[in-house]
Amino acid sequence: MRAAYEDLFHLIEPLLQGVEKPSRYIDHEWGALSKPDARFRVCLVYPDTYEVGLPNQGIAILYRILNAQEGISCERGYLPWVDMADAMRSRNIPLLSLEGAAPLASFDVVGFHIPHEMAATNYLETLDLAGIPLLSAERGEDDPIIIAGGPSVYNPEPLAPYIDAFLVGEGEESIVEVARELERSRDEGLPRAERVARLARIAGTYVPSLYEVAYDSEQAPHGHAVPRADSGAPAVVYKRVIADFSATDPIAQSVVPYTELVHDRLSIEVLRGCARGCRFCQAGITYRPVRERSADQIVAAVARGLEQTGYDEVSLTSLSTTDHSQCECVLDRLNERLAGTGISVSIPSQRLDSFDPELAEAVAGGKRGGLTFAVEAGSQRLRDVINKNVTEEDLDRAMRAAFEAGWRRCKLYFMMGLPTETDEDIVGIARLADHVVELAREIVPKDQRGGVSVSISVAVFVPKSHTPFQWCGQLERDEVKRRQQLLLHSVRSRQVRVSYHDADVSLLEAVLSRGGRDIAPLILEAWRRGARFDAWSEQFDLDRWRDAASACGIDLDRVACEPYEIGQHLPWDHVSPGVSPGFLEREYRRAAQAETTPDCTRTSCTGCGICPRLGAENVIEGERK
Amino acid sequence: MSEENLFRLRVAYVKQGRLRYLGHLEVLRTIERIVRRAGLPYAVTQGFSPHMKISFTSALPVGTASVCEWYDVYLETYVPARRALASLRKASPADLAPYAAGYVDLRAASLSAALTHAAYRSTLELNDASALAGHLPQGAPSVGRALQILNALKAHGCITYVRGRKNKKMDLVNTLDGAMVTEFVREKDPHSHTESLRAPKPGEIGDLWGLALVTRSSEKGALRPEVLIRAWEKALAFWGQAGNHGLGAEEVVAEILAEPLVVEPYGVFAHYEVTRVSQQMETKDGKLVEPLPRPQDASGR
Ligand code: SF4
Repeated sequence: MRAAYEDLFHLIEPLLQGVEKPSRYIDHEWGALSKPDARFRVCLVYPDTYEVGLPNQGIAILYRILNAQEGISCERGYLPWVDMADAMRSRNIPLLSLEGAAPLASFDVVGFHIPHEMAATNYLETLDLAGIPLLSAERGEDDPIIIAGGPSVYNPEPLAPYIDAFLVGEGEESIVEVARELERSRDEGLPRAERVARLARIAGTYVPSLYEVAYDSEQAPHGHAVPRADSGAPAVVYKRVIADFSATDPIAQSVVPYTELVHDRLSIEVLRGCARGCRFCQAGITYRPVRERSADQIVAAVARGLEQTGYDEVSLTSLSTTDHSQCECVLDRLNERLAGTGISVSIPSQRLDSFDPELAEAVAGGKRGGLTFAVEAGSQRLRDVINKNVTEEDLDRAMRAAFEAGWRRCKLYFMMGLPTETDEDIVGIARLADHVVELAREIVPKDQRGGVSVSISVAVFVPKSHTPFQWCGQLERDEVKRRQQLLLHSVRSRQVRVSYHDADVSLLEAVLSRGGRDIAPLILEAWRRGARFDAWSEQFDLDRWRDAASACGIDLDRVACEPYEIGQHLPWDHVSPGVSPGFLEREYRRAAQAETTPDCTRTSCTGCGICPRLGAENVIEGERK
Repeated sequence: MSEENLFRLRVAYVKQGRLRYLGHLEVLRTIERIVRRAGLPYAVTQGFSPHMKISFTSALPVGTASVCEWYDVYLETYVPARRALASLRKASPADLAPYAAGYVDLRAASLSAALTHAAYRSTLELNDASALAGHLPQGAPSVGRALQILNALKAHGCITYVRGRKNKKMDLVNTLDGAMVTEFVREKDPHSHTESLRAPKPGEIGDLWGLALVTRSSEKGALRPEVLIRAWEKALAFWGQAGNHGLGAEEVVAEILAEPLVVEPYGVFAHYEVTRVSQQMETKDGKLVEPLPRPQDASGR
């Protein structure tokens, strides 16, 4: 029998005094939507703590859309932090939704957001706390249907056995279609397997149980998914893209939290997609085409959103906000409107090639905090390889302007282990950092030099599906360590601070990004050995994963580092953002020649194939510089 | 805008229900958002990062409810208090709702400095009331013993307790003006599924205690009910242990306070709730008054 939909808050209330941040678990926030009476119930779950998940725009959008549907109620769920999870487990209290404090197992649908690869064990932790069987194949007629979607859905195979259906791409329309279909099939009394199979008829929906794993050869260790005979499932599931981005509500948020969040503010998505074409970047492919909202729509949405929420900060979000053709005009209008209210406007970090100190000051409310720039690679050659179109002159110009305008702190982001990288490129990172310190010495008055800080943060490159580098392996861990040492010894100035992403975390991220369905048992085994919240460095432990891997007969380093051959089937070929394989291959070859490819919103179409495949196109409001 | 032209609106609000689990900073941030949602013409501070001019009463601990919290928000233009209150109520979650508003003199002392008297009421659910009563010496009524401990704590003068990695000292001589314990029996009505509380009959043992605390704060600090309650509980638990029954209340208190108190459950109370029930200030002639006249008078300036 299905768990009853009932308010069980009284079970967790006695635990609240004894756990960190009890406000994570209490709901009753301003703007929470819920319908005590509904025919069909969905619980959308962010696979991390409340304060990490609440700002998520994807869930916020779908939450609003579902609750606006007649007869459908949508609630939220988050993964309790380890203290609360353990307390609940030891008392046999099941995981509850936030609004209704009802067991997750009592919902018709539980929908996971997939923010990144490192949340893998958290889906299992969530399902287990909820008392829902972990494997799709083991779920019964009364268990909720488990769906998942989000930015990291473009290699779903490692999660395939745990999720009944993946929604690929923009969910604004497909979530409603899926919910309605499941409501219909439930009311018709169809068996679970058939209800799940029927979802495959909805465009953009990938139902893993309708696919089996095929192998090209022994050199293809992870295999690739092909539809089972007579399943009627498509060979390739293409992502959904909404018909008209500008017709969607620019205010995604409704809920105003009590708990302090890292990004505690109103967010307005001012544009979707980025066509700069960095070759390592998955989002640069999967969010295409590029669609801007108009300045009028943005300004009106900010005013209305602030009125509804009472926030004192608004962020204009997107992958690359300063690329918006009307960015400056929007900021001017907003700053004028908000003068004297104590409300500030912010944008995600600026680009080096268009850095404007006035703009930076305008969005920082006159404050000069730290500036951050993504440089990504240490030499022009390597930046051309990855198609990161910034030059040393850009860095020079931007840093001069920043120091002259009074900034003192900056942080530069780089990657290590990029394809074709040599020691020269690593030394180049050190050289750039030293150069910035020299600039500071030249420009910053002597008495203020103490405040100067230049830091560089170096991540390990993780090859992602559906990018021109999807065939590449990750750099071996020992070699990563050697290059890190090389970098440390190449930096001359003592004023440069160097920090690294943990190579262990990057290794696992590569395993989860590059593996096939064969990786799924590893996730289960690691979770059994206590892995959860792997995205939190205090919780992450590679040894647990190593032990789990040897129990499963999997070699983590091999999965992360072994390149794929061009022409081989890849484990993610059947779930596509619409990019043409030929384009990715061409870009890969151009990369090897260090040939760059321009931005299609500034020149003409460069033939990635996404627009024709999805029947969509770039929508640019003005003229991009 | 110069200070003299501002209007100082004083607002009373509750913190109750689930929202009593909010921390102080969470409450402050939420109230600022309520003021902005209400569309009041709030004033902002000068400087690089301007923020709302607003000030609050002293922090309530996580889990403590209140029916008498206050804030002063400075407005640039005059809005009739009744209208301001209505807009604030509309923009507020019910468990944090304002219930009175009125204007006060710009030069009046700040709320946190002026409100020196606070009363708390707490209900404490006993883990196993009869077992506890049995352990207490001479089968005396447990509330009587409990009160003895409270008096002994007050006589002891202060409680040193652990907070984070530090030890803190909480004075009781100047902060605890009075304490009272009452015993209740819970009665369930099987038909209506409701509960009521009544005083125990002779010989009957209560399920619940009611604790009333009258406190006073000064520059030296204020009383933290949860610290007092845990000290009290630790003493009761210690007294209940075999071999300790013969000790006097003072000896028990001296014993359990010999080391800094860890503020955590000691097994006597299954669960307790604390509510701040009044906050008052002292006038020059020593009278205790509320920060605003009673709600019915709060119609304007
Ligand atoms: S199809 Fe052409 S215009 Fe559309 S995103 Fe790809 S490159 Fe740009």
